Formats: sequence, structure tokens, C-alpha cells
Amino acid sequence: MRALTYQGPYRVHVENKPDPIIEHPQDVILKVTRSAICGSDLHLLHGLIADTRVGCTFGHEFVGVVEDMGREVKTLRKGDRVAVPFNISCGTCFYCNRGLTALCENSNPSSDLASGVFGYSHTTGGYEGGQAEYVRVPFADVGPMKIPDDMEDEEVLFLTDILPTGYQGAEMGEIKGGETVVVFGAGPVGLFAMKSAWLLGAGRVIAVDHVPYRLTFAEQYAKVETVNFKEVGDVVLYLRELCGGRGADVCIDAVGMEAEGSMMHKVLGLAKMEAGSPTAINWCIDTVRKGGNVSIVGVYGPPWNLINIGAAMNKGLTLRMNQCNVRRYMPHLLEHIRAGHIDAKGIITHRFPLEEAPHAYHLFAQKRDGCVKCVLTPHGHA
Amino acid sequence: MSNRRDIESRGVDLDPRQRPGIPMEQPPHPRAGAQIPIAQQQSPYPVLKHGGRREIPPVYGTAVPPKGLSGALRKLAYHYPDHWARHWMMLLMADRVDSWEYRLRRMLPLAAVLVVGGLTVKLLKR
Repeated sequence: MRALTYQGPYRVHVENKPDPIIEHPQDVILKVTRSAICGSDLHLLHGLIADTRVGCTFGHEFVGVVEDMGREVKTLRKGDRVAVPFNISCGTCFYCNRGLTALCENSNPSSDLASGVFGYSHTTGGYEGGQAEYVRVPFADVGPMKIPDDMEDEEVLFLTDILPTGYQGAEMGEIKGGETVVVFGAGPVGLFAMKSAWLLGAGRVIAVDHVPYRLTFAEQYAKVETVNFKEVGDVVLYLRELCGGRGADVCIDAVGMEAEGSMMHKVLGLAKMEAGSPTAINWCIDTVRKGGNVSIVGVYGPPWNLINIGAAMNKGLTLRMNQCNVRRYMPHLLEHIRAGHIDAKGIITHRFPLEEAPHAYHLFAQKRDGCVKCVLTPHGHA
Repeated sequence: MSNRRDIESRGVDLDPRQRPGIPMEQPPHPRAGAQIPIAQQQSPYPVLKHGGRREIPPVYGTAVPPKGLSGALRKLAYHYPDHWARHWMMLLMADRVDSWEYRLRRMLPLAAVLVVGGLTVKLLKR
């Protein structure tokens, strides 16, 4: 089969690889029909996630058709269309029993940080990703959700990661109605966090970024106020002032480890003195009001970051964070898409065949051509 | 500036009972479709588990087996638990070595052609 492969920092190619096989009785093999490039794939591309091995295939946002199945698979049949959460979860362990499928302890031998994840280095279990023609999907009765016949692949594609991640980010902010929510990062996850903040009853939503076209997109797509932090001097003071002098009720970090805005953190991150730049977290801590909530859905790698934890403690903040427990959000958000509350496919700006995936990565990473979200079509547009 | 009255769906999930995170406050229960017991995945793939983990989980990925010098570094790194900084630092180092190994492997055919060509020219000159 053809598959995107990592060839060292900043380099990916599309190559021939052996087809995936059933390795466990609860596996299915999926023919991938749509696969998206996630902002967190860029952390892999840039060599920031430990144990990313040359030759591995990225991709944890994909939908497809069941092509083959293990003998213990009960709920799926060949030909079923499914959306697959990026978490690989057994459904029975201590964490899965509590709905925390992102923490499953039966799918990742490499670390106790998270469950197994498709195409996200050997730190999350060493699974191949979905930026390929075919992919192996373990625990097929637990994770994948059948796509209703009345819905297109692209309408539900983002249920596999970024839409639930954005929603969980807003939900962890514990919005009770009328709060001012500041979302750092106007990328795909940030956009869905903004939409979700409205669904949860926020009174005001403000997006912060430094890329003008992304702020314009956020203004139109999520109907939020926007702040370009490169145009306002001290962004923390500016935002506090914008929020009545006290600060925001809720701040959401939808940026992660490649944040702009602090030369010191950027240099320390590049020198591997810390795991990327935690600028967005520190801005969240400084911008939120005392007693407020900070929600973190941006991805950070081990081993450590310079976080202003003293300010968080003294301000009495609630910090909540996690990889998204995707499966529990899928049915709920599917209904929001169906009801027209969220136009999930509306953030897709570019579509490419799999062979052009390296170009798509370049476009997405460089934020060129108004790129918000790239989708790959491994088996063509049909 | 936005006007929140324009947002038709604003507050549709205001009621906490509408929020998918709430089920975690209910008694623990297996997810739909989950099967017990889980069969152990069998494969000749060399699974590396970190030093703080007792057993290999029933399911794991088999993307790229460790190989070469980078593989040796990875095996060494996985002797240490994942809360040790040296575990991660050694893995990051292994990633860089892996990248250089790959470049060298790609250059091997070119290097072989140059060596054979050079030797041939040398022999012809004699």
C-alpha cells in the first residue's frame, strides 16, 4: 500500500509499505477514505515527540470502510463505514470504565502518559497511522463509531479528534452561563473550542493568535472577538483590560508546544532544555481571573516545561487538562452536526490526494495559502 | 465584534446533564462492545515497555522495530521508568541517531558507486 512515512525532522515522503494485517482477534483493517493532518502531527514532523522512528506513518484523524476483521469482532461487518477515535482503548480497564478512554492502560507499553494513539510515535504505543491507504484498528468494537448513512465522511471526520478535543477543552472550563472565555490559538482545535464555548453558554468568546487570516477565519466561522497578540504589546494586560480589568473567567490553551510569543521559551525548546514552548499555558495562567479555570488541550511532550505554577497556586486557579476522551463525545457531537449547530467540514480549506501529503504538510506547517485544515483522500475523491 | 444574540445555538448544552463529561460521575462500567478477557496479542515484534511497567499490555503497535545504534539506545532508554528524565533524553537522542542512520543508508548506494568507479579508474590507469 501507499503510506506517508517519516524520514527525520521536517521530512516526510509517500512510499510503498506492507499492507497491515490482523494482529489481534479484536482488530479490523480499515480502507481509509479520508484522513486529516492534525496540528499535533506537526510536533512529530518537527521531531519534538520522543521515540518517533524513521519509517513510521502519521495520522490519527481518519474515517474509512471495514476491509477485514479479526475473529472476535462482533459489532462491525465488512463494508461498514466508521469514524475512529484517535485513542486506542480496551473499554474494560480502570480508566475506560470511568469513560477516560484517553488513559486506557491496555494499549500502550511504552509509557503511562496516555493510551495508545494511532500514528503518534512509539511513546503512545507504536501504532501505524491513518495517512495511508489502509490501517490496522485494534479494539474495533469499542472505539470506532458507525457513520450514519445520511452523513458524508467529511461531515464526521473531525469527530475522531479535533471537534471532541475542542468541546472537551470548553467543557473543562466549567462554563455555567455568561462567562468570558479566552481561547489561545485559532487553529482547528481552537475554532471548535470557540464554537463549543458558545454551545455551553459562554457570554463572550475571544480568540487570540498572531496569524491574521486565522483570526479573520475565527471571526467569521465562530463569531468571536479576536486579538492579534503581535499588535497589542503586552497581551496579558490587554486581555485583562478587555475583560473588565479582572481577567477572563476561563482560558483555554489550544496551542501546545510550538507556541510563539516568547523568544526565551522558543530557544529553550529548540535547545531541548524544555519540551517546546509553554507560552500559551503561562498566558492562560496570567490572563484568567483569580479563582478562574484554565483548560489545556494543547499537546506538550515530556520531560518538562517552565510553567508559572506559583501564580496558578496563589490565584487559586483550577487547572484541567487531558488528551480528549473522544469516544464519549462522538454521539453527542454527531447530533450537533446533524442539527446544524456545528459545520464541522466548514473548516476544511484544502484537499489533497495521498501522494501530495508532503506538500500538504508544508502548506499547513508554514500557514500558507489561507490553510486552516488539510484533508487527504487516499483512495481518490469518489 | 461579535454579538452573542446572533449565535442561535448558544447555550444548548448549558444544562450539565447535556454534557458528555458527566457520565464519568456515574458508577464505573465497561464501554459498549468491550470484551473480557482480552486475548494477548502474539507477534515476534520486539516490544519495548518502560522500566516502571510490569507487564506488556494485551494490545500494542508494531510500526517500526528498533534497529541499529538508535535501536540499542532505545532499548537502553526503556530500561528506565518513564518518570525519569534520562528515559526521555535518551529517546530524543536515539531519534536523532535514527535520522542520521537513515541518511547514511540512503547514501550507501551512491558511496558504493563512487568507490567502485574510483577503483575501476585506478585499475584502468595502471
